[in-house]
Amino acid sequence: MSQAIILRICIYVATIFCIINGWWFIALPLLLLGAWKFSFKIEIVLAGVAYDALFGMIKGTGLWGYVGTLTAIVIVLLFMIFRKMIR
Amino acid sequence: MYIRTSSRPGEKRSRTIALITGGVVIVVVVFQLFIPHFIPALFTTIVRPFWRMEFSVMSGSLKSPGALLAENEALKIQLQAVMASDASSDMVRTENGELLSLLGRSTSIITSSSSTSTAPAVTLSGTVNSSRLLGAVLSRPPFASYDELIVDVGSDHGLTVGSKVYGPGNILIGTVSDVLSETSKVTLFSSPSQTYPVLIGAGHIPASAIGRGGGQYEAQIPQATQIAQGDIVSDASLGDGAFGTVTSVLNNPADPFETVLFSPGINVYQLRWVLIDTGISTSNYIQTNSVAKPATSSTSSKSVPVNSKSKR
Repeated sequence: MSQAIILRICIYVATIFCIINGWWFIALPLLLLGAWKFSFKIEIVLAGVAYDALFGMIKGTGLWGYVGTLTAIVIVLLFMIFRKMIR
Repeated sequence: MYIRTSSRPGEKRSRTIALITGGVVIVVVVFQLFIPHFIPALFTTIVRPFWRMEFSVMSGSLKSPGALLAENEALKIQLQAVMASDASSDMVRTENGELLSLLGRSTSIITSSSSTSTAPAVTLSGTVNSSRLLGAVLSRPPFASYDELIVDVGSDHGLTVGSKVYGPGNILIGTVSDVLSETSKVTLFSSPSQTYPVLIGAGHIPASAIGRGGGQYEAQIPQATQIAQGDIVSDASLGDGAFGTVTSVLNNPADPFETVLFSPGINVYQLRWVLIDTGISTSNYIQTNSVAKPATSSTSSKSVPVNSKSKR
């Protein structure tokens, strides 16, 4: 198994563990690392949705309940724009 | 040799990612609009076994049998001591209940709970009857924009949105904000933008407790009220439950109001168990703190829900 695949699996496992515990401040750098190294995109959105589903999405909190999903979308968009600009 | 299907494969990939991202967003929006609890319930069902396992490990399930037996013995001795001291407070509760009934005041709403989940259901019965469920705190996300706990009891135990949640020592700490089938989300009163009517000190000065996050509160009260550090803060209900203790009073002579800082005296981030009152709904108490106005007796009385007024 190549080192890249092992690293990828490690990032997945660590990110899932962090999201389960609500440690977004660790999950976010891990996902950014994944985005930089392995072009994570869908993974970032899914992580955002999962965080909100577990700890947010409460009636009455408005957009605060979806802060994970919104942040994930912004990150993905920024990565796509930067990639285009660099090209 | 191969045939290139697109002149710009990167662009095609970007388009696919954008489509999938858009699809995910649309799915979330549609489900939240029509079946609001579907996505949270789905993810919570997947994650709950991990939370339970983590809770069991933290609770000492992996300890040796000898250590568990010793701990059990120590707890039994401690329980006997607590029961002995509780006998005297039972007398006071009985007296209080008798006085309340003499004055024609009833504060009891009893709801029973089934005990189908792993969480034990306990009933704290005093003269002021109330049925409370014991809930295990499965998760508490740190550094979140809101103070929140996930507990392992949900609609299977008859929990409803707005149920009061108490910490050790009968301290009111929050309300149930979302109920799923076997778990619930508890929003703490100390969460920023939450307010709750309280009475401060021996003079029962009415004020609004404003959440500051991390289990801390602040309240604005008029000057010269002689509130000092260590004064008791109680919730403005008939039961006069404990809410916290004054930790600091910030006084600026130029300001007609002084700021009282207080905390519940327990670390909400170290809670493993909470008691949930399944009887009285307090959802009306929670307000969005758009304007942090100083609380006077008039503002405080405004924040009392209509159904409570009718009881009084």
